[in-house]
Amino acid sequence: MRTEPEQAPAALSIQRQLRRSAARRRVIRAMGHVLVYALMISLALLFMLPIFWMASTSLKMPREIFAWPPEWIPSEPQWGNYAEAFGKYPLARYMLNSAILVIANIIGGLVSVPIIAYGFARFEFPFKHALFLLMLSTMMVPGHIKLIPLFWLYQKLGLVDTYWPLILPAFFGNPFFIFLMTQFIRTIPRDLDDAARIDGAGAWGILYRIIIPLSRPALTVVVVFTFVWVWNDFLEPIIFLRDWNSYPISVGLAFFQGRYSVEWHLFMGATLVSIIPILVVYFFAQRHLIGGLASIGIKG
Amino acid sequence: MKQSIVRRILVVISLLLLLLVSVGGAIAQEPVTITWWTLASAESPEPAIRAVVEAFEAEHPNIKIDVTIMAESAYGDLMNTAIGAGEGAPDIAYFWEAPWLPHTLDITDHLEADPDLSRDDYFEEYFNNWAVWNDRVVGLPFTVGANFVMYNKDVFDEAGVDYPSADWTPWDYIEIAKALTDPDKRRWGGDRPRGPFRAVWRNIGATKPYSDDSTTVEGYINGEDSVAAYTWLWDLVDSGATPTPADIEVLGTEGTGPVDLFIAGRLGMATLNNGHMITAANAEVNFGIVPEPHVPGNERFVHAWALRASIWAGTEHPDEAYEFLSFWAGPEGQRINMEIGALMPSLPSVLEDYPDAEADYFQGFLGVLNATQTAEWRATHPCWRGAVIRAVSDAWDLIMLGEIERDEVQATLDGLVEPAQAALDECVPRLGG
Repeated sequence: MRTEPEQAPAALSIQRQLRRSAARRRVIRAMGHVLVYALMISLALLFMLPIFWMASTSLKMPREIFAWPPEWIPSEPQWGNYAEAFGKYPLARYMLNSAILVIANIIGGLVSVPIIAYGFARFEFPFKHALFLLMLSTMMVPGHIKLIPLFWLYQKLGLVDTYWPLILPAFFGNPFFIFLMTQFIRTIPRDLDDAARIDGAGAWGILYRIIIPLSRPALTVVVVFTFVWVWNDFLEPIIFLRDWNSYPISVGLAFFQGRYSVEWHLFMGATLVSIIPILVVYFFAQRHLIGGLASIGIKG
Repeated sequence: MKQSIVRRILVVISLLLLLLVSVGGAIAQEPVTITWWTLASAESPEPAIRAVVEAFEAEHPNIKIDVTIMAESAYGDLMNTAIGAGEGAPDIAYFWEAPWLPHTLDITDHLEADPDLSRDDYFEEYFNNWAVWNDRVVGLPFTVGANFVMYNKDVFDEAGVDYPSADWTPWDYIEIAKALTDPDKRRWGGDRPRGPFRAVWRNIGATKPYSDDSTTVEGYINGEDSVAAYTWLWDLVDSGATPTPADIEVLGTEGTGPVDLFIAGRLGMATLNNGHMITAANAEVNFGIVPEPHVPGNERFVHAWALRASIWAGTEHPDEAYEFLSFWAGPEGQRINMEIGALMPSLPSVLEDYPDAEADYFQGFLGVLNATQTAEWRATHPCWRGAVIRAVSDAWDLIMLGEIERDEVQATLDGLVEPAQAALDECVPRLGG
């Protein structure tokens, strides 16, 4: 049996060793954090590089754009490039047109997608699975194949050169969003529906009081993706719109790409301004967006 | 009594006739609307397009023009969709793609009956190569385009190299390019051709990829002149004095020519066109122009083109559509575009009034317009672009990528005879000789 004085140094030594190993762990963890942050900052800078190049180019004269060595910060920034770009084409009007199309499509998506997805997720009806598969199969059809029949159809309906061909489809549901939303609704416990039903809610009441409030992450995905897709859509506007003043910004930017050359300095300035709304939307919606996608991925 | 009845009947008939004439007159005065799709560009900007419409409508109050102005990158998709749908195509547009030609209206009779415009008003080669198809006049050539070599005088001066002259040869081009190249400044002396059997090919020895009657490839694609042209390309690539295909892909502009590199002073010479010429002039580049090099004693060729302005075959108003076409692509319309934009008109009588006509670069451009166009053969041999060019692309790619040796050029071309002949035989029944 060891005496008291003999035990104390051993305990102290163990304590010291424990403290040392804890300190070592803290240092290693801190170094890990530093490395991770350094990597993330490096990657963030790398991903920011094209946007920085865009901003830099927007302030240059044409002969400086591809000069060697590259001048990342122009010695004489040409702020007038922005005024020239916006004076050359009605870009502010085009951005407003894009905003109108985005809002109309978001409304269309928010009205149609939950109703259709709710039907697929909660109700039994003849040919339900076949219809769901049919709807999913439309996602496999390349958009270009539908262009000529759609053009013919809208021409017959007298809707070419209006915004209707770009808005109406949203009110009939996007198959990708319907699929996402159906999967999400399936993860919401049916007990909630039953409880609401006991309280006197009908199918519509359950949808608007239970399902939709609980589907906010999925609906955020619908809103943000619709925003980005419609804002960037180029092909359909050029097919269905004719009026110079009705083009969206995606088409307006294409005017800087001429037959023989690209006005890079103006193009980059206009593009930089045009992506601001997308960045703002993403900034405010990123938490819901990532959360929404993750929850759909895990629970679906 | 009888006379009175007759008189009354006559009065009633007269009144009815008067009514009919006035109603008919009103119907005749109802304006006809012509739809027109066009592009906004530096040569023909939106204000010039609006000015053409305004001037035409002032002269023709019975015709209204419904114009759609679109971006270059949108045009092909829209035309393909409208032509594919069979309706909704415009009365008037550029019909520049070969598959759109069968959908153009034959305006031979309209042009012959026109007291104010004739085919002789246009540059002859441009009219013949771009407005005529299968012996029918299917449009009017709007503007002129041509390739030539632009050289940056500052780069030449810095390198102490003499400016090129019109009598230079393809081998002079390589030597000058080597002298201008400066790897430290990431500067290349010159660019590479963008396809075989364009001007330099023809200038080396009137080379053609197959016989004029579209029956034989052997002895043409692998003939002496063709081998000489491909070997010249091999020497150019091997010199290291030109950007690689990857460089051009990254730094080039829309596939029409590396004008941005030229403007930045990173290319001493570049085969560009009159659109690029305006861009360089606006960027205040100190440059000159010479025709593409050729072999003394041989006929000089130029790679040139026009925009084919045509009437859609499905138009309901061919006469009114022609009225507008002949205005827009005639002297008045092209003059408006030249004065407001930077269009190079396809009518010599208008082009001579070009605002910058005294500039050296413009005079250099005029110098290439009268050379024989490579399009003369290409326009009458659609199977070259339609099929054979793909069958012979291996030789081009292998040389461009530096994958074969100089003494392998002949064997490589020999190996292409069989696939090229098969492509030609398959194509001729489909597209014609």
